[in-house]
Order: sequence, then structure tokens, then C-alpha cells
Amino acid sequence: MWHGGRKGNGDGAIELADGPRSSERLLILALERFGVWLRSIVVCLCGALGVVAADAAEIPLAVSLLVPALLACGVRLYALRRPRLFPLALLWTLDAAVVVLTGLFQPVIGGDGADVMVEAIVGISVVAFQYEWATRPVAGAALAALGAVVYVLGDVLSSPGHSPDLVPLVRMLIQVVLSRAAYLIVRALARAADRSAAVRAAARREMEVAAARRAIEREYLATLHDTASATLLMVSQGDGRDWSWLPPRARKDLEAMSAVPGFETGSVDLAALLRCVPEGEGQTRVRLKTHIDGPLAIPSGPGLAIFNGVREAVTNVARHAGVREAELRAWTEGAGAVVELSDAGRGFDPESVPARRRGIKGSIIGRMHAVGGSATVTSHPDTGTRVQWRWHGPAGASSAGNGAPATGVPRPPRAQAQHTADVRFIRGRLLYGTQLAVLLISLVWQFTISLRRLVVHQDVYRSAWAQTAAFVCLAAVAAIGAAYLLRGRQIPPRVRGWSLGSVLAVSAICAFTLPPEQSTGAPDWAFGLVGWHALFLLADLRVRAFAAFLGVHVGLNATAVFLSGAPTAAEAAIMGISTISACGFQLSVGVLMTRLLHDTAPAAGIAAAREEELRTRERIHEDMQRDHKDRYRALTATTVPLLVGLGHGVLSPQNEEVRLRCGVEAARMRRLFAESDAVSDPLLNEVRACVEVAEHQGVTVNLAVRGRPGEVPVEVRRELVDPVAVILGRTRSTARVTVVWTPHTVRVSVVSEDCADDRDTEEAAQAHGRATDAKVTVERTTRGESVWVEAGWRRPATSGVDLT
Amino acid sequence: MSHNAPVSVVVVDDHPAILSGVEAWYAASRRPITVVAAGSSVGEAWTSPGSTADVVVLDLQLGEGGPAFGSLRRLVDAGRQVVVYSMRDDEKTALSCLDLGAATFLTKSEGRDHLVEATLAAADERPYMPPALAGALGTNTRADRPQLSVREENVLIEWFQSESKELVAQRLGISVRTVNSYLDRVRIKYANVGRPARTKASLVARAIQDGLVDVDDL
Repeated sequence: MWHGGRKGNGDGAIELADGPRSSERLLILALERFGVWLRSIVVCLCGALGVVAADAAEIPLAVSLLVPALLACGVRLYALRRPRLFPLALLWTLDAAVVVLTGLFQPVIGGDGADVMVEAIVGISVVAFQYEWATRPVAGAALAALGAVVYVLGDVLSSPGHSPDLVPLVRMLIQVVLSRAAYLIVRALARAADRSAAVRAAARREMEVAAARRAIEREYLATLHDTASATLLMVSQGDGRDWSWLPPRARKDLEAMSAVPGFETGSVDLAALLRCVPEGEGQTRVRLKTHIDGPLAIPSGPGLAIFNGVREAVTNVARHAGVREAELRAWTEGAGAVVELSDAGRGFDPESVPARRRGIKGSIIGRMHAVGGSATVTSHPDTGTRVQWRWHGPAGASSAGNGAPATGVPRPPRAQAQHTADVRFIRGRLLYGTQLAVLLISLVWQFTISLRRLVVHQDVYRSAWAQTAAFVCLAAVAAIGAAYLLRGRQIPPRVRGWSLGSVLAVSAICAFTLPPEQSTGAPDWAFGLVGWHALFLLADLRVRAFAAFLGVHVGLNATAVFLSGAPTAAEAAIMGISTISACGFQLSVGVLMTRLLHDTAPAAGIAAAREEELRTRERIHEDMQRDHKDRYRALTATTVPLLVGLGHGVLSPQNEEVRLRCGVEAARMRRLFAESDAVSDPLLNEVRACVEVAEHQGVTVNLAVRGRPGEVPVEVRRELVDPVAVILGRTRSTARVTVVWTPHTVRVSVVSEDCADDRDTEEAAQAHGRATDAKVTVERTTRGESVWVEAGWRRPATSGVDLT
Repeated sequence: MSHNAPVSVVVVDDHPAILSGVEAWYAASRRPITVVAAGSSVGEAWTSPGSTADVVVLDLQLGEGGPAFGSLRRLVDAGRQVVVYSMRDDEKTALSCLDLGAATFLTKSEGRDHLVEATLAAADERPYMPPALAGALGTNTRADRPQLSVREENVLIEWFQSESKELVAQRLGISVRTVNSYLDRVRIKYANVGRPARTKASLVARAIQDGLVDVDDL
């Protein structure tokens, strides 16, 4: 479906591929950065505090463990900027090394400080790994398992004889699972946002493409009308005047016809043109074996010169070579193109061709020189003939423009309002996802880790009932928030205010009813919890608000500690590490959410809009090429040769036969113009277009219709109506045209009472529609001067049943 | 009526140019046709001398009102042979006129070529099928239409398209006589369906008597 990456555009700034769309892709990127930075900062800070807390003698050893770990973090941070520089296996090994190195603190250095530090670093790392390796969950899980092993081994080695403490392990497991769950929730919503944005974008794209196609179609038809159609009508009507203006005019008309509208550079697909080269009919038919490596976009001038040259050369094969087969090859060469026509016919001596013969010299070589290309004819008697056309590519600075097909395509209008609506939508989804994730963390944390602590340490608290009441209060806040969020609604400001007040009250009650030496320790179930509750309440605000809340929360706890006497340095360091691992982590999640909502969402919106614009342009470009090919093919077999003949003086406008042919072509063009009219019965409309041209020439036309009109595809209409254009163009006085619809067929018939017939009429009528595979049968009856041609098409069985 | 007996006609049309044109065409006929009365009202056909005319030529569009189907039905019910001669060129009108029992339906653009023959056929109670009517019958998709053979349908449509029985005969590789017999047979099939009328019955009876159709065909 999507080929943007292959064709590319000038700046090449964005790369498009199948797989995650903009929101999801940017979300994954933001989370990876978050994970690496979080872990690095925590290792750095907690490591430093661990060194502070260690005995003076152990400091060199501690530093020698910490420095390699920090180096590994540095490499990982650098890898964020250069994503493809390091193999994934190396990055994974570095991550593992950080965990192992910091884990060695416990057995090597020992002491409470090391225990808390290792617990904090490993605890945060295993969470961060889930985001760093979000798209490779196995790698993330393996690192988490490694962290757990390191932690347990450290515990066992540092205090042999003790059985390892399982509680921190279970807590770690809960955190890892929660991280993964949070990621999955947010990703699901980002995906949903992407999907619905894509659906709306596709609808918009269809509209824009259709509008652009209509505009291009109108432009092309207007050009045709002003150029070729006008010229042909003038020739068909005029006689005995000065025709010196005609050849240059006809040549200009040809160029206008072949130019793909909408391309300022006027480039054409030579491959498409060459597939239109007529093979001739009957006795003069030359079967062409084509090997064309398309598309070959070259400027319309040389493109047309090559095309016309090939036409002429094919005619020469039919006339002179004595064979009925030729090979047509085309390929790119540098910025240009080469086309080669070869036959195995009788050949000739180029030296002996008389000068007045214009075929090779004029039509092939001269024409090619005139547009800055070259053509060579190689032939010897009895060795066949090879004609080669070469277009060397655009000269100098203009070369950049022609190679890039997208440059001239009309830009679809940018809907700024639509863009901001997209951003708002993506932001809303991401906000909802993060709120749900944080709420899930709050609830799970409260009812697993915190509940266990509260129950186990009931006898430690100064007032157990106050602690229990605080727990219930927090649960109520979470429940109320969940009730709003799960119904898809935002939490109202009043409720938010009361909830935040309650959470702060819980913080204060817990801080002041806890023995100060236990602050942030195992019995302090609330310290690490209230931040999560505040976070889902404040998710839609900038991170400043949440930081302020955390400041008050930490301040309350610090006040409670300091009111009962200043702690020692080691105690302060341990409390600091705990604060970093709890509140610091929460703050970092708050920062992440702000970034997601205020940076990632707009970026995703912009990226989606750019992808969308590229897709639209690509579609317009493709459709334009195809439409043009169709239109051009409809004219190539008949109109183009006529204009070429007039343009190069081969056909004379004084000749009655030429004038009749011009009349026929004018009628065909009128029919083509009528194709794009919005009418209920397009077939009749196109028939009328031909009738009007004939009436304009003074022919009396009697038009009658019977039956109920139905749907007929445009390519079938072309063939059904073409005999009308041909016969009317040759009628001198009177004709009858009828359209008959029966349930099974549609039959268009024309009877001319005095048709200036020639044997080409029939062939032309059929050659015109040769390219399509529509099953149109044409029957022809002549009687004296009367000619009766009827074109019939069997309608699909479903239509045409009269139910009334 | 014998094949050379003079035919009397009443022409009901509200356009004087049409009246004079019709009279001129009749005057050129080899078999004498006399316009005994002419006027813009159907009353002409009911009062003497129009009431005794062999054939009524009726314009459907008289004055401001819609098509005069009521007048047509009353004339048919009185046993009159009516040639409907109309500006209207749609299938629906043609089919309705046939169903009511008109002898034939002719559009004004066909008058020059077909009015004289249609009038004579009506006087003799013979079928007559002008091209516009053939087109209407050939594309008829109503449920109550008579069953036509593929050949019959083809002949109808090609007659409509070319307006030349010679061209139709040449295309189908048959004689003009055969073309005529296909057209007649279709006309009789139509007379044999729909609303019963005396004119329709006599058309069928006459056709069987002349050997145009077999009773089994109907």
C-alpha cells in the first residue's frame, strides 16, 4: 500500500514504514529515554550516597565498583542519540553489568547503607528495564530476573546463615509487573488513537485525492479544448483559406496533449507513452515485442519526440522491412533514457536514401535533435535495422527537479484545524492511558505492599487506629478517582481538591504517628504510596504541581523527623536513598507524563499529519499518472496521428478526407469532454456531444431513445459511442441515432443516409477502443449510400429489471 | 373492406399546419383517402359527417389538458378505428394507447413516411407497426407484456433503430416480407393481452383469418 520510502521526497526528513504509527512509535521512544535516564540518575545519586554512607576504608573499593557502572550508564545514554551504533546484545550486557556491579556493593562493602542502596538501585533498575526494553519484553524480564538474583545473592553473601528476605523480592516482582501493565495500557490507548486517526485520515485523503483528480481532469480537458479540439474543428469546417498557421499549431497541440497536467516540469512517463505505440491494423500490422523498464519520467518534449519517432519507425518496418515483428526496448541510462527499436527485416543502406525522404531524417533524427536528444539508425542490407533514441537527461541545474516526481504535484490543502484536533485527540487518549496506569499502580501498591506493612507493624505505631483510618481514607480517594476514570470522565476540580487535601492529611497523620527513627523504613507504608495517588489526581497538569505536592509531602515527613532530634549522617543518607527511590521515582514518572502529553502528543500529531500529506501526494501522483495514461491512450490511436500528420505537413487540410477525419476526431474529443459531466445518463450525454458536433456541421440528426437507462462503465461507453462519432463525422446530410436499453443489453446505433465512407472507417472504429477488454460488439450494414453501425453491450444481469 | 375501396377519415388535431399537411399526404395516396371532417375537438368524430368516418386520426394532446386517453377509450369502445398521432415520443404513452385499443401509435416525426399506410391498415383492420412504436414494444419490461421470441424482439429494435425494413432484412439475412410478418405477429400478440376491446378482438380475428398468426401462437 505504501511506497513512500522507495520514492522519497526532496528533504527525506521522515521515514515511513509499516509497523507502529506515529503515537505508538513516539511513545516507545519517549519511554526508552525515560527508562535509561531514570536508571542512570538513580545509579549516580544512590551510588554517591552509598559511598557517603560507607566506611572511609571502603571508599576506594566502592568507587572502583561505581565508576564502571557509571561508564556503562554513559554508554547507554550515548546510544540513545545514535540508535544503530551499538548492537542490542552489547547494550543488554551493559545493562546487566550495571546491576551486577552495584549489586556487589552489598557483599563487598556491607552495612545498612549498602543494603538500602542496592535495594533502591535494583528496585528502580528492574522497573526502568521494562521501559528501556519495552518492545523486547523477554530481554526486560531477563534483566529483572538478573536483578532479583543479584539482590538475593548479595543478601546471602553479606549475611551468611540468614535465610534471604523474601519481602523485597515480592515487592520487586510487583513493581515489574505493574510497570509492564502500565506500559501495555498506555500503548493500547496510543494504538487506538493511531487507528482512529488513521481512519479519519483515510476518509480525508479520499476526499482530497478525488478533489485533486477532478481539478486535474478539468485542467486537462480545458487544455485539450483550447488546443487540439479547436484546431481539429477549424480544419473540419474550413476550406480554401490560408493554412500556414496549422503545422506549428498542431505540433504545439500535441505537446499540450502529452504533458501530464500538474507537472510544472511537464514530464511524461515514456514507458506509458511507448505502450501506446499503435501496431497498425490488418496488412500493415507489426507485432511489437516490448521490454520496457518503466516508469521512465522524462520531459514531455523529448518524450513526445521519441514516441512520435517510434511510431514512424514502426510504420517504416511495416512498409519497408518485409517483416511483421519488431522488438521495442527502453531503459534508463544515467538521468536519461534509451529507446531501441530493432527488426530482423531486409535492412537498407542509409547512404542511399534520397534526401527528399523525410521519414528517417525528419521524423526520427531531426525531431530528436530539435529537443536536445539524439537518434541513430543502424542498418545494412539484409541485416535488419536498429533505431536508437537517446535522451541524455536534463542539463545542468534543472536536473534535480525532473527526477523527483513529487515536486510538481499539487499540494493538497493543509487543514490546520484538523491537525490541532488530531493533537487534542492523541493527547486525550494518552492522558487517559497514563491516568489508568497510575491508578492501577496506586491500588495494587496500596493493597499489597502497603497493606502488609500496616498489618505487620501495628504494634510499632504511636496510634494504630489513626494509621488504619488513614489507609481507609487513601483507599476511598483511589476508589472515587477510579469511579470517574473507568466511566471515561475527568475528575471534577472540587473532587480533586478534596482528594488532594485528604492525601496530604494522610501524609501528615502517618508522619506524626510514626516513631521518627522508623520514617521511610519498613513500617512507613504511606511514604512511598501517597505520591501515586497524587499523581493520578494531577496527571493533566504540568509536573510543577506534582513536584510541589511531593515537596510538601517530603517536608511533612522531614519535619516529623527533625522535631524529635536531628538524625546522624548515615541515617540521613539512608532516608535520602529511600526518598529518592520512592518520591524521586514518582517525580520522574510525573516528568515523563508531562513530556508525553505536551511534547509527544503534538509531535505525534505533526508526524501523523506529515505522513498523511505524503500519502495523499503519493496517491494523487499515482492516480494522476493512471488517469493520464487512460485519457492519452483513448486519443493515441487516432487523434495523435492526425495532429502529427498536420503538424509535419504530411496531411493537407485541403484534402476532404483529412477534413472528415478532423471532424471525427473533434467529435471524439467532445465525447471525451462530456465524460466528466455530472449527469444522470452519461451515455446519452456523450452521444449528444457527438450529435452536436455533427449538427454544427449542418447535418440533420434524429436522436431517439427507448428503454430505461442504467449504469455503463466509462470504457464501455467509449466503445459504444465511438461509431456514432465516426459515422456522424462522415455524414453529409441526414442521420438517425438511437439508444436502446433492454434489460439485458444496451445498443447504440447510427444510420447515415449518405456516408462518405472509406474502408478505414470500420478499422478506425475498432482500433480506437482496442486497448480495453470491454465486450462491445459492433455490427455494420451498408446498403447503397446508407451505412448502419450498431454497437451493443451485454449488461450485467442484476440491472435493468423493471419492478414497477 | 376491399383493397381499393376509398377510405374516409376524420382528423382531430388542434394545429392547422398539421391538418393541412395530413390532407396533402392523403391526397398523394394511390388509394383514395378522403378527410370528411377535421377540427381541434374530439366532437368532430362524434358528429356527422365525422361520425361515419372509417378511421379517426387523433392527436393525444388537445388544448391545455393532459393526454386524451378518455376520448380514445370512448372512441374505441364505440368500435372506431383510431390512429393516435402524437408529439409524445415516450414508451409509456405508446403502450397505454395500444392497451386501450388504438389501431396504431404514430409520432409526428414519423407522419410523412407512415401516416398514409397506418390509416389504410386501420381501415382494413390490419396491424401496422411504425418504428417509434416498435422501439416501445421492444424495450417493454412491464409484467403484463406478451411473451416475445428473441428474434421478434431483435426485429422490433432494429426496425426502430434503422427505420428501414430493407436494412433490417439485410442484416438478419431474411426478406422484407419476413420482417413484416414478425412485426405483425408482435402487434397481434399485443392485441391479445390487456384490456379487452372490440377493435383488438377484430384485429386478432382478422389476423388469424389471413393466416398471419396461428391460434397456437397466442
